[in-house]
Amino acid sequence: MRIKSSNLIKATTAIALSALVSTAYAKTIEHTQGKTELEKTPTNIIALDLAAVDTLSTLGAKITGLPKPHAFSYLEEFAGDEYISAGSFWEPDFETIAATQPDLIITGGRSQKQYPAMSKIAPTIDSTVWGEGFLTQFYNTTEMLADAVDKTDVADAQLDAIKARIETIKTSDLNNKNALFILTSGGKISAFGPGSRFGWIYDDLGIEPVVKDVEAETHGDPISFEFLQKVNPDMIFVMDRDAAIGQDSNAAAALLDNELVHQLTAYKNDDIVYLDGYAWYMVSYGLTAMDIQLSEIEAALGIK
Amino acid sequence: MKLFLSACLIMCLAIVSLFIGVAEISSYEEFKSVVFLSRLPRTLAVILTGLSLSVAGVVMQALAKNKFVEPTTTGTVEWAALGILMLLIFWPEAPMSIKLIIACLFSMVGASTFLFILSRIQLQSDLIIPLAGIMYAGVISSVITFIAYRFDLVQSIWIWIQGDFSMILKGRYELLWLSAILCVLAYFTADQFTLASLGKNTALNLGLNYHLTLFWGVTIVALISGITVVIAGIIPFVGLVVPNIVSLIFGDHFRKSLPWVAIIGTGLVLACDILARLLAYPYEVPVSTVMGVVGSILFLILLTKQKHHA
Repeated sequence: MRIKSSNLIKATTAIALSALVSTAYAKTIEHTQGKTELEKTPTNIIALDLAAVDTLSTLGAKITGLPKPHAFSYLEEFAGDEYISAGSFWEPDFETIAATQPDLIITGGRSQKQYPAMSKIAPTIDSTVWGEGFLTQFYNTTEMLADAVDKTDVADAQLDAIKARIETIKTSDLNNKNALFILTSGGKISAFGPGSRFGWIYDDLGIEPVVKDVEAETHGDPISFEFLQKVNPDMIFVMDRDAAIGQDSNAAAALLDNELVHQLTAYKNDDIVYLDGYAWYMVSYGLTAMDIQLSEIEAALGIK
Repeated sequence: MKLFLSACLIMCLAIVSLFIGVAEISSYEEFKSVVFLSRLPRTLAVILTGLSLSVAGVVMQALAKNKFVEPTTTGTVEWAALGILMLLIFWPEAPMSIKLIIACLFSMVGASTFLFILSRIQLQSDLIIPLAGIMYAGVISSVITFIAYRFDLVQSIWIWIQGDFSMILKGRYELLWLSAILCVLAYFTADQFTLASLGKNTALNLGLNYHLTLFWGVTIVALISGITVVIAGIIPFVGLVVPNIVSLIFGDHFRKSLPWVAIIGTGLVLACDILARLLAYPYEVPVSTVMGVVGSILFLILLTKQKHHA
């Protein structure tokens, strides 16, 4: 009888404990492609999106693998041997990823289409930020990633700092110049307006767009030098796509070094701003990328 | 006389082209800078490109002895693009002159391998030649896509080689004069091409140095393709449609038809570039897109016309 009861107590405790364990760590993460259950805080993470790599490492979480061919510039450390190469954005290395037995896979942006396939390998969350409301989406995605790796406190502090900086930019007296955002690629120029991929500098930072009706396509509307001369913006933000993906870094400056550009107000006042293409184009919505982007805008406007 | 009138018509188009642009001109200073830095170079680039692409088309057709081929449907231009891709990967900051030399060398390989393939296949119908050309071009294009994909350059390479004059400025188109010189040389050797187009045996019987003519023709086609791809990008259909229109009206005597080819080609590309600038004003549509639509419609009309003649 005594033996039996002690057994019963043991069994009950075990059940109660296991229930406690599972309720303590079971977590439902809501993301752009649905809901994903996490049984415990993931420690073996494959991130197929650079923004996720950036945000997780900024928050102090460790990742196991990533698409290494795209890791350079300020994320260069992730090209090292201690990280597993998970293929490229568009062509993940399924075998390696499966063999790593990750407890979390993160897709997003260029790799968002891999979500269904990745979900079959391990719990997967999607961290894509795209389209309307860039900043709100960025805040939500960052919170979501932080929640998944239990770093909500760190994320909150960082996001508060970012929000404060954005408020300063928005309300600053120095934010009084109109601007045009252009992307150069393969020797051609395209323009981005409000509501477009880089439109948040107008929509969320309050910078005045010199043209308002540029169509919101992925790579903008193609423009000529005469267009630049006509709209003659006070500032020109230049995103060199070829430099962003690791090509010749002087391409944009060489393209814009001509007599028509030399007549522009922005050129005369030294207000043509060459942006960090890797942060703006490749990573875009990572925590450190956002810090770099805001710093560049602050520097361009002369805000400390 | 007809030739003179048409030349005047082209002049009118060129003048229209000079007046189309985004910049508003309010002073003489502005006029000077805009016209001499941007408008005039662009108009000249369009004229030179139209002229040389259509001449290259005619020469290619003579060499392949077939009316349905041109450098963009026979792999020549794809090879030029492959050359540019190699530079993007191994020497992205290469100067224009190197880009040009590489593009021309690669198109040379492209044009000669195509003619070599033609000499090796049994021709049962005239359609085999353009089909073989399109397949060959398709193979090279997929090689380009495959390599570009590996290096994350798919967008870059296609933007690079998309036909577009929006970035033409003084100092960025002058190499096109080289291809115009090639066209003039082609005119002076036009009789040889007429003979070559009759076939190897007939040409040899008539005393033509067949292989030299072939080599000279390939050189013209390759250099023109290389130069135009580097400066303006790929503009499809010009070399296909223009020679066919001319041969329908004026027959196949090269020396007589070449000036017409040059004039109609110039007019066609000028008109398409004007459209490209107006369709989405103040933004631009790549001229290759406009030419793709206009060219394919013209080509379909030509095809139905040819049936009536047969």
